[in-house]
Amino acid sequence: MISLGIDIGSLTAKAVLLEENNILEKHLIPVGYNSKKAGDKLFDELLQKAGIRQEDIGKIISTGYGRNSIDFADRAVTEIICHGKGIYFQMPHIRTIIDIGGQDSKVIVLDKNGNVANFVMNDKCAAGTGRFLDVMARAMETEIHEFGLLALQSKNPSKISSVCTVFAESEIISLVAKGENREDITSGIHLSIARRIASMVKRLGMIPPVAMSGGVALNVGLVDALENILETKIETTPF
Amino acid sequence: MDKEMAIRKFREIAHNPYGYLQELKTNTGKKMIGSTCAFTPEEFILAAGAHPFRVFGESQSFSGADAHIQAYGCSMVRGMLEDGLSGKLDFLDGVVFPHACDSIQRLSDIWRLNIPSLHFYVLLPVKLDSSLAKSYFLNVLVRFQKDLGKALDTTITERNLKEATVLMNNMRRRLIRLYQLQSEHPGILTGADLSAMVKASMVMDKREVVDLLDVVLAALSKSPAPDKKIKRILISGSVCSHPDIYKMIENKAAVVVWDDLCSGSRYFEGLADENKNPVQAIAGRFTERYVCPAKHLGVTFQMENLKKLVNEHKIDGILFMLLKFCEPFSFDYPDIKTELEKMEIPFLLVEMDRHNEVDEQMRTRIDTMLEIL
Repeated sequence: MISLGIDIGSLTAKAVLLEENNILEKHLIPVGYNSKKAGDKLFDELLQKAGIRQEDIGKIISTGYGRNSIDFADRAVTEIICHGKGIYFQMPHIRTIIDIGGQDSKVIVLDKNGNVANFVMNDKCAAGTGRFLDVMARAMETEIHEFGLLALQSKNPSKISSVCTVFAESEIISLVAKGENREDITSGIHLSIARRIASMVKRLGMIPPVAMSGGVALNVGLVDALENILETKIETTPF
Repeated sequence: MDKEMAIRKFREIAHNPYGYLQELKTNTGKKMIGSTCAFTPEEFILAAGAHPFRVFGESQSFSGADAHIQAYGCSMVRGMLEDGLSGKLDFLDGVVFPHACDSIQRLSDIWRLNIPSLHFYVLLPVKLDSSLAKSYFLNVLVRFQKDLGKALDTTITERNLKEATVLMNNMRRRLIRLYQLQSEHPGILTGADLSAMVKASMVMDKREVVDLLDVVLAALSKSPAPDKKIKRILISGSVCSHPDIYKMIENKAAVVVWDDLCSGSRYFEGLADENKNPVQAIAGRFTERYVCPAKHLGVTFQMENLKKLVNEHKIDGILFMLLKFCEPFSFDYPDIKTELEKMEIPFLLVEMDRHNEVDEQMRTRIDTMLEIL
């Protein structure tokens, strides 16, 4: 059976077509201002890309903030449950998941059977989210995909005390004025966000092994900073 | 009148409580005495021939209140002050400030200085369950009786007080029965309607409440119980009168079968002993029943009460609705959390302001908890 998972997040809409355990096709577009429109567009483009018709799909599950706007889905499930299922499918040994999304960050603890046992979510502000990294990368005049690599080059990370996106940006302006180098400031930014995430992990109670999901898992600088603070290896998914 | 009409009336009044009160004052000429907390002994107000009602904090923006209370004051207290400052309560004759939490105590001073109305204190003892507290509280109530009578130019007689006690008990019995029906037959009423009925009961003429509740109860006792497999939820915390939250829960095949909320069961739980002297009976109701985290009864008391509710109502999951900056509740929460984790009962804490829209983040949290159950 072909099944479709569709995730309408705060920034991007993602879809994956799965046939049994193999990925047939995947697609990603920005959400823009209308989650329903984004979902329809994503679906049409994915079908075209995969060369199949809607009738060929046996089951559709929607998730993410826009999950309830996907009227062609059979069921809407929260992304917390989906992260749990997804990680368990790919890495069944994992017990703690860190997911940093565009709008919020989450820590999820799974039981031995891969069910969500507990979770904590930061949704109070942009600090500790992918949005924070976006803003900071722009301030450092670097592309988001190079931002983590830049942090790894630092030998003496700058001290950034504020975790608030707005205040941190003005703190960075002061560091720039002081003449601190770009790698050190970037590393400082990564450490500040990692400290915030680490406090969420500790609050929930980390059970190793730990994995990171979400777009920010691609940021090697942040994975490295989190590994150092949490003193544990953090695995990432191959997809 | 049929059940639907009665429920519609409750809904309308819950939606516009001050409109109802304004009309009631125009029609009856009664003095309108607001209360800021469930610790208000409303029987005395009824016995004085006045009308007791709850000041809810209906205002959604606090531009007036923010000039007096810091943004870290709870939205309930800021909302109540805003209601007073903005003229929404112009029909009001007096307000009762029970000394429950610090925020209400401070509100009392700010109110006295800024809003012209009669002002009453009920100086609750810090601990309600000691023998000294009982005699102290009796004196407080006798003082309230005198102050109220003097201010309203009337004498509150024992007979009037007894009648008021019976009337309040009659209303409480019916609200308790309504909650029991929801627990016995989850979904017999929507959570939003049940919440609106309690809210409306806090502002309406108590005889009218009793009559309308009789209509609803009579119809419900005949209606067949919904036969669905549902998850049984308990809401605990400060207040929750968001219709959207109940709807969100019901969309996930779950029903709130009981609550431990200031906007719910804390208003009507516990009866005053009708065979006792009425002042003693009213004092007894407050000192013997579990009321609110503002009256600390030791670290285990809250938890024992929760355990009792979980067992009685076969609760599958607990949703804690915390009003931001509600200190009394926050102080108890770490102990509760530790105990619930040991008991392996799923629970979720959601912090919100009184009039926050239910946003997608909150929906994700609540949906996830319900999906885990």
